[in-house]
Amino acid sequence: MSHRNEPIFRDSRQNLCQSIDTLAMAFLDDELVAEERRELELHLLGCASCCAHVDRERADLELVRKALVAPPAPDFVKARLALALDAEDHASLKADRQRSLSSVGRWILPGAAMAAAAAAIVAFVAVRPPVPTESGAVAKEVVRQQTRSLPLEVQGAGTGPWLRENFAPIEPPQFRTPSLDIQLLGARLTAVSGHNAAQLRYVVTSGANRFTLTAVVIDDLHNDELTGGTAIKFGDRVLHVHDANGIPAVTYVDEHFMGYAFASERLTAQELLELVVSSDLIGRAQQGR
Amino acid sequence: MQAVREKRSEFERQAMVHMDALYGAAYRLTRNARDAEDLVQDALLRAYRFWDSFEQDSNCKAWLLRIVTNTFINEYQRKKRSREVLDAATAEQGATDGVLVHADATVRQSPERALLERSVSDDVQRALEALPDDFRTAVVLCDVQGLSYKEIADIMQTPVGTVMSRLFRGRKLLAAELRDFALAEGYVRSDGAAPPETGQESKKPIDLEKYRASKAREGSR
Repeated sequence: MSHRNEPIFRDSRQNLCQSIDTLAMAFLDDELVAEERRELELHLLGCASCCAHVDRERADLELVRKALVAPPAPDFVKARLALALDAEDHASLKADRQRSLSSVGRWILPGAAMAAAAAAIVAFVAVRPPVPTESGAVAKEVVRQQTRSLPLEVQGAGTGPWLRENFAPIEPPQFRTPSLDIQLLGARLTAVSGHNAAQLRYVVTSGANRFTLTAVVIDDLHNDELTGGTAIKFGDRVLHVHDANGIPAVTYVDEHFMGYAFASERLTAQELLELVVSSDLIGRAQQGR
Repeated sequence: MQAVREKRSEFERQAMVHMDALYGAAYRLTRNARDAEDLVQDALLRAYRFWDSFEQDSNCKAWLLRIVTNTFINEYQRKKRSREVLDAATAEQGATDGVLVHADATVRQSPERALLERSVSDDVQRALEALPDDFRTAVVLCDVQGLSYKEIADIMQTPVGTVMSRLFRGRKLLAAELRDFALAEGYVRSDGAAPPETGQESKKPIDLEKYRASKAREGSR
């Protein structure tokens, strides 16, 4: 019996040694079936060379796996995706909803926490559309910056942290507009009427159209510096709608005297106002009340 | 309206929970946060649009990773000409011949180069850049996502043996690249630790099915 087993054992052992690259890898990746695993484990007990090989492979694997641990998805990526999914949902419902929606309501989100707030402003605007009036220096400066494509100092994912490090502890406003894709492109530092400011540039995609939306965040700005424009009361917040040389702008000053001014050449005053009201900036303010 | 809500709710329950994993894969595949953000967004939007085609009983994470991988490969192919990346086919041929050498590999092992490397994260991303796309994809799917050889083979639409081969060689290249900074960071000891391996052992085929076939032949004798 033993004389028949011996050569087979040698063959088997030789086969294991010859295939140790494959077996060690599959062993460490837990891809061997139970019988193969047992056979290899037995073999390793008696084969120093293969045992050392498996140890080396294990060390390599640990090195690679430890190094490749990746960070979790940043919150803003999740938020951005949620908005994009909202847009998808909206597109699915668009055909049905178009008949019943007024032109004012076409960007309003279904569901979501912003719905009530958005509905309130829509109702308000529907009754009393904003009439932008000649604006003061701040809004004019924002529009002037909107029309100049100055190079950005930071782009993409790093924009928020960069603003907090170089400007002020703010979160870039995000927009909840199902039919528009609005992505923050980047930012640069600037100044408005003697105040430190940051210009945020967004890219708005509406079907085949792409255009720019500019938000200028102005530090330490008092309400009375926002002269001109038409005041629109929204809850206990007041927004101003301006006409700066034919281009609409919407301004807002939060409770920390941080001024926000939005402008886009491609939007009407009403559209811009709806956009700003749908942003998390106003949502934050309302929720914080 | 109801159907849209149900679809969204199901998608969030089954797919969105894998967002961190998908981002991790995208981050290692693209080697930078900005591209990873875009890749995850594109892939998940695509997944949402084709949610009806997802077979509810199958592995959702693997399905999503397939979309991430395909999106990455397609996007990458489009941009390929503008990037300096080693061609996978060439490297694979080189590895099969037992010569596993990347043009940058020797440069990266120099002490001067090591001194220039400032952070572990940068090192890892640089090391990943040395890998051909196919090798990197196999390593990311296995070592970042923990997928089985079969699942990776399905995603990459290649035989399991090819997956093993890419995985084996990808890890070897990566480990060699990482060793310098691993020593510096204390992940491995310099005394008695595994020496860097080259392509010597790559002459042997890395294929579990071939091993099993030879084992079966041996058993039938």
